[in-house]
Amino acid sequence: MKYIPTIGIECHVQLATKTKLFSEVDNDARGKEPNSCVSPVDYALPGMLPRLNGEAIKFAILAGRAMNCEINAYSRFDRKHYFYPDSPKGYQITQFYHPIIGEGYVELPSGTKIRIEHAHLEGDAGKLTHFDTYSLVDLNRVDTPLIEIVSMPDIHSAKDAHDYCKELWRLMTFAGVSYGDLYNGNMRFDVNVSLAPEGATELGTRAEVKNLNSFRSVERAVEYEIARQSKILDAGEKVVQETRGWNDNTGKTTGQRSKEEAKDYRYMPEPDLPPINLTAEFIETESAKLPLMPTDYRKKFGGVLKAEILEVLLDYAELMKKLAEIDEKYVVAIANLFTSVLLAEEKSAEYLNDLPTAKQLNDLAEMNEKKELSSTATKEVFLRLFDPQMKGRDTKVIAKELGLIQENDLGALEAIVDTVLAKPETQKAQADFKAGEEKVIGFLVGQVMKESHGKANPSAVQEILRKKLA
Amino acid sequence: MEIKREDIIHLAELSDFSLTDAEIDSLGGDLQGIIGYISQLEELDTDNITPTYQVFEMENVWRADEIKPQDATCEQLLALTKEEKDNQIKVPKVL
Repeated sequence: MKYIPTIGIECHVQLATKTKLFSEVDNDARGKEPNSCVSPVDYALPGMLPRLNGEAIKFAILAGRAMNCEINAYSRFDRKHYFYPDSPKGYQITQFYHPIIGEGYVELPSGTKIRIEHAHLEGDAGKLTHFDTYSLVDLNRVDTPLIEIVSMPDIHSAKDAHDYCKELWRLMTFAGVSYGDLYNGNMRFDVNVSLAPEGATELGTRAEVKNLNSFRSVERAVEYEIARQSKILDAGEKVVQETRGWNDNTGKTTGQRSKEEAKDYRYMPEPDLPPINLTAEFIETESAKLPLMPTDYRKKFGGVLKAEILEVLLDYAELMKKLAEIDEKYVVAIANLFTSVLLAEEKSAEYLNDLPTAKQLNDLAEMNEKKELSSTATKEVFLRLFDPQMKGRDTKVIAKELGLIQENDLGALEAIVDTVLAKPETQKAQADFKAGEEKVIGFLVGQVMKESHGKANPSAVQEILRKKLA
Repeated sequence: MEIKREDIIHLAELSDFSLTDAEIDSLGGDLQGIIGYISQLEELDTDNITPTYQVFEMENVWRADEIKPQDATCEQLLALTKEEKDNQIKVPKVL
């Protein structure tokens, strides 16, 4: 039987604020010792009170606008109670009733729109590591600001699930609200999958796969769930509503021991944090800080760049910003250099943190256009521009120092050609060419290139050779 | 509202308390008393009243995003826990 999958995704995004959501300690614990970014508030010592980070509110506005969402003027926090060692307070501070971000949508590269139900601010939990007989708790991540983005069940394929997660990642990195470092868990996805027979009016029973941390694992987990649930339904059995875990190595989801107790979080308003009530002006001012988003770049460059190239480049927010500064007539050339040269380099990610200036890149494209640099030389100079020692230096000077400027001076070229034609080892080739053997011209061009130490412009050389041998 | 024995057991499980039978009985009685007392408020007509979440009527209380030195060091905070291992807090195994 044919089934239509319906998928809803909840995404947790860690915000790149300097300090945590409720305490004034370092929020970036990447590469730091466990329990080194902590305060008495994070430990929930008696009498400690949360102090709301205003930057997180501004980031939430940007994140919301990146997803074309309404920003709710009024929002406030609630306590979500649960008892677990990753939360010293015994509850999570979240926005259950009045989230700051309202309805909106995310447009996928294919043009499909996925509606956003809402998104809210909340504090993250600590990190647990499990061992044979004990568990260890690291509180560095406690109350890192998160926004939880809840999609409507608008996704119907594993590919769209993948594309949606990736687009969210782009939106958050382009908006500058998250480092988007997936390896360090900056974005985590919970995916609900259900199947219903084609034409059915009601959704099927759903299973939730929690804590996925890459687009690829989202895609694979959805594929696996569709296959698993189809088999169950085909056998006339029922899908159990449950939380399942994903194993990247086996490529399978497995049912997790469900708590016998039904979820009972005893939500209550957070009495220690007064509500947020934003003026229209404040929302407007903060929204205006949103830089160009992937959709804007697709509109801007869609006519000039091939979609495949553009989608590759759109994984790099800084690169797109730079491309927007490039002279319009050189955009294609520079985009091609980035795709063909830089992204093939092992150190590409490192390079991309510190890009050459727009002037350096424009000059490079211009030199290539004027044939002052061969295409090979252009690529070589391009890579040199990423060298920290070349920072801010003139492209022409760099190319000259590298001895890569092509010889376009016809007089000078002719002299070199004459020298080559006078050499005994080229006599046979010259005779062969005159006898009609077209391809030996390549050998002769090669000899001239060698004589010029690679600086001659090969097409100019060929032209001169043909004239002289006619 | 009547507080049943199961309600007390349920709440105790959510809070990870272990209670003796005698404690369940006495806490049940206490809680019944408190709920009964609070229930008197139900007599008031609140149909057209906006819920109040806090009494100070403050709004938009937030701080700048700046790292500040803390009153207690990481070591002092860790030392407050029952058991530590490799800079982490050691707890009985949970799943």
